[in-house]
Amino acid sequence: MTPIPTLTTPRVTLRAPKLADFDALAAFYAGPRSRHVGGPLTREQAWRALAGEIGHWSLRGYGRWAVEERASGGFAGMVGLWFPEGWPEPEIGWTLIDGFEGRGLATQAALAAREHAYGVLGWSTAISLIASANSASQAVARRMGARPDGRFTHERFGEMDIWRHPSPGDVADGGMEAYA
Amino acid sequence: MPRDIPVIETRRLILRGPEPGGYPDFKATFTSYRARFMGGPLNPYESWMLYAAEIGHWKIRGFGMWMIHDRQTDETYGMAGGWKPAMWPEAEIAWVIWPDAAGKGFALEATHAARKYFYRHGGWEGAVSYIDPKNLDSIRLAERLGAVRDPDAQTIDGNDAVYRHPSPARLEGTQLNHGIEMEIGHYADPLFKPKGWAID
Repeated sequence: MTPIPTLTTPRVTLRAPKLADFDALAAFYAGPRSRHVGGPLTREQAWRALAGEIGHWSLRGYGRWAVEERASGGFAGMVGLWFPEGWPEPEIGWTLIDGFEGRGLATQAALAAREHAYGVLGWSTAISLIASANSASQAVARRMGARPDGRFTHERFGEMDIWRHPSPGDVADGGMEAYA
Repeated sequence: MPRDIPVIETRRLILRGPEPGGYPDFKATFTSYRARFMGGPLNPYESWMLYAAEIGHWKIRGFGMWMIHDRQTDETYGMAGGWKPAMWPEAEIAWVIWPDAAGKGFALEATHAARKYFYRHGGWEGAVSYIDPKNLDSIRLAERLGAVRDPDAQTIDGNDAVYRHPSPARLEGTQLNHGIEMEIGHYADPLFKPKGWAID
């Protein structure tokens, strides 16, 4: 199976998901904040979602990492590269569990994921799919320099906005710090 | 990932972990009516995520479902192995055979080998199978494997029948085991082969 690399930023570590993350993830998916990302899910559905996150790495060679806040060691959510069947293009996705939102952790983790996509995997572009009502997630996309670029309707997640990230060249010109 | 999925070889089959190349066959069955007893039919997104979850299950539990391949051609015939997502009361022995590959004893051969592997190498003391009561083919297979309906066992959601597999002691070296292997043997090497077909 594909080894999952570990990425480190000043405030978060991106590492392989593990079973210890499950309870926190299931609690998030049971709650109202999951409504923008396909929730609410039962505990059983959330377990399959976690297993699916891990299997995504094997099928695509990339996937979403479990994000750990370095200061507390706490599991903060899932961030990374996502391209299941039926997705319009590979995307950079982020989901922060309750209690870790609003502190810039998603932006920092998603920037590290984008750097991995552009630098290591050689992606030439990237999108993020965000529900129109998910203003917190839109703020993250904006901070990363992404711009709205059409809409996409998914058979399960419904209608979402496509946010287009700056290309590898634009990111290099502007420098990461321009968006952080 | 640190844990590599073991490979099991049987007379006609080779069982390997789910690989990207096996997905189209998995999808064909799970998006079809054939999947009606397994939570389907699924849409393409659900089927892809379930396939990914089959792989993740191995990582989380240390066991999971193998893809059944033909030893000679590598063609896939279905899946068999262990399954225990959240909310499953006990570890399950599960199987699915693609419609085109049904009736050749592949599920029996693969599931028998998978169960033996869990008993010998996984430390399993027993297992159950959760089966939709309308899924007569699967109930027949459970019975051929020596599993017996356990009306007292906890079900997943009340819509499934629980079949309890014989324990390792009741299987290893017993007449039951011998009978299963003889049945597999007859599929692999039929005693009565037609020597030809009448032309008219």
